[in-house]
Amino acid sequence: MVWKTEKVNMPFEVKDCTLITRMGGVQAAVSLRELREGVARCPLECLFHHFCETQLRPTFDDPEFSNDFAVWSAKHVRDRVLAEQLGVLNPYEFDNFEQLRAAVLEVIDDRLSEVGYHQFAPAGEDFRFMRAVTVVFDVGIQLCTPDDLVTRLPEFSTSSIYYHFVEARRRTETRLDDFSNWLVGFGAGTEPLLEALHGIDFYYLTLRELKDTLLEAICQPLMETAHG
Amino acid sequence: MVSMSLDSYEDVVGQVVIAQLRKLAHQLAGARVVHVNSTREGGGVAEILSWLVPLMNDLGLDTSWEVIDGHAEYFHTTKSFHNGLQGSPAALTDHMIKVYEDTVSANAERLRPKLSKADFVIIHDPQPAFLIKCCPERKGRWVWRCHIDVSRPNHRIWRYLKELVSLYDASVYSMPHFARRLDHPQLIIAPSIDPLSDKNCELPQGYIDATLDRFGIDRRLPLLTQISRFDRFKDPLGVIRAFDILSGSLDAQLVLAGGGADDDPEGQAVLNEVQETARGREDIFILDLPPDAHRTINALQRASTVVIQKSLQEGFGLTVTEAMWKSKPVIGGNVGGIRLQVHNHHTGFLVDTPEGAALRLRELLRQPGKAGRMGRTAREFVTVNFLLTRHLREYLTLMLGLRHGLESHLLAG
Repeated sequence: MVWKTEKVNMPFEVKDCTLITRMGGVQAAVSLRELREGVARCPLECLFHHFCETQLRPTFDDPEFSNDFAVWSAKHVRDRVLAEQLGVLNPYEFDNFEQLRAAVLEVIDDRLSEVGYHQFAPAGEDFRFMRAVTVVFDVGIQLCTPDDLVTRLPEFSTSSIYYHFVEARRRTETRLDDFSNWLVGFGAGTEPLLEALHGIDFYYLTLRELKDTLLEAICQPLMETAHG
Repeated sequence: MVSMSLDSYEDVVGQVVIAQLRKLAHQLAGARVVHVNSTREGGGVAEILSWLVPLMNDLGLDTSWEVIDGHAEYFHTTKSFHNGLQGSPAALTDHMIKVYEDTVSANAERLRPKLSKADFVIIHDPQPAFLIKCCPERKGRWVWRCHIDVSRPNHRIWRYLKELVSLYDASVYSMPHFARRLDHPQLIIAPSIDPLSDKNCELPQGYIDATLDRFGIDRRLPLLTQISRFDRFKDPLGVIRAFDILSGSLDAQLVLAGGGADDDPEGQAVLNEVQETARGREDIFILDLPPDAHRTINALQRASTVVIQKSLQEGFGLTVTEAMWKSKPVIGGNVGGIRLQVHNHHTGFLVDTPEGAALRLRELLRQPGKAGRMGRTAREFVTVNFLLTRHLREYLTLMLGLRHGLESHLLAG
């Protein structure tokens, strides 16, 4: 299978990442009011961790909400209204994390004005602000053509998928995933593939589901190109 | 120590996971790593080090494991630290501090050349923590790896230890809720189990049957088991109380099996008390096992209908992980790391009282289908989250992070 691309492009260096969590250096929150104070003061890395790196962390089952603030509100404060309002925030729809912080504070402030200051988590279920140390490293795989992406993607770890498809949006100027940024360099021939990648709503998927979705998404344009 | 290489785990965790570890470790090739704890046998820390050290070596790091050589008075003092850090009343006199510091200082004479040259020194728990004061010429990064819950310590003991652990470059805890605030970076690494070790590997049914026969356990009756040190925090008497509540309505057997660790002088007293309580009971088996009885423990866990870990205080609770790996539902105390593993109504039940344990035991014994489903979920959960490969990866990440000042994002290589 050869892609009908107009250009050659730089090879794509596949990377992987691992993380270890660390305490965020902010007082734990027992109440909704303390959560608000913590969100207002915590380093942006904490927001990134609780909104984005949750996908990389072990969890028991498919969480109902994708960010830790919503999970804590639902599970420990037992405020499902707040949980849903926080849960719908998609960090990748904000230009930066300060904007996300403002949005979180607005949701919490609105809720505080509705329910007052009496919402507490039980003892031992306080919210701990965390952040992470992420180490990025070379996997030793180079992709030279779009075909390579199709054939090598099954070998990618889920954390590699996270790094190139999710975390890239925070790292790159285009705010796109690394695959798209690379495929663009091959010209118009890769448009169906790019379209398929752009159509993936990754934030609400587990990394395993995201990998399966990606595989499906890139196989379809491949078939079409093969038959076209 | 295990001698197998990391490749042996490929069938369990997959090739991608192994390849990832090798790539990551490549950045640390040749780094000198020294782990120090206070016992080579008995307890979760020694078990972790028995696989962690050889596997770090297999990954190309120059790793060694040193043990503090102490006497009874030293271990009485460190047991007092251990109890006090977990919130129990515990004494700390000037004499005890002198015994502790003198013992660790004497060990430092032997260990100093190695520790001073190491790139990474990992000090496990409070027993060897004073070593950092004995090694002012340090080349590498020193980490205090705390395996117990120090969130609500006895303040006199914490005041003394805080001064020591603050000297470290970082500290590591099993859960965020176990940590005390310190000025240095505090990181989280959950423990794990070795799926191929004697304690966790698959066993032939014949071996399991023979193990039950050896102790006179009836193979036809349901078996309820708690495996743990004879330690008050593990509440063995509470387990017997739960069994007593249950035994009027169901025919079953209870096994309380464990042993002491070299660094736990209270174990014998607790064992005596438990034996006295169970005296004359044919349905309760108190097994004082040697520290190397790993396959026996494995067989008992595999033969169990339900595994209990009704701790009142717990670090992480590796026996819970072991039982879950063997597809057993667990009834666990609602404390510490057990709460990270036992997801109520999914992988077992969390309980606060002997009555709660009896209630859930009855539920699982009456509904074997539910017990089976919980066991399968438990195994899946451990496979993803609590096997040694994840643990090893986080240690490598920690060391690479320490090399670069623990910044949020680091590009290795």
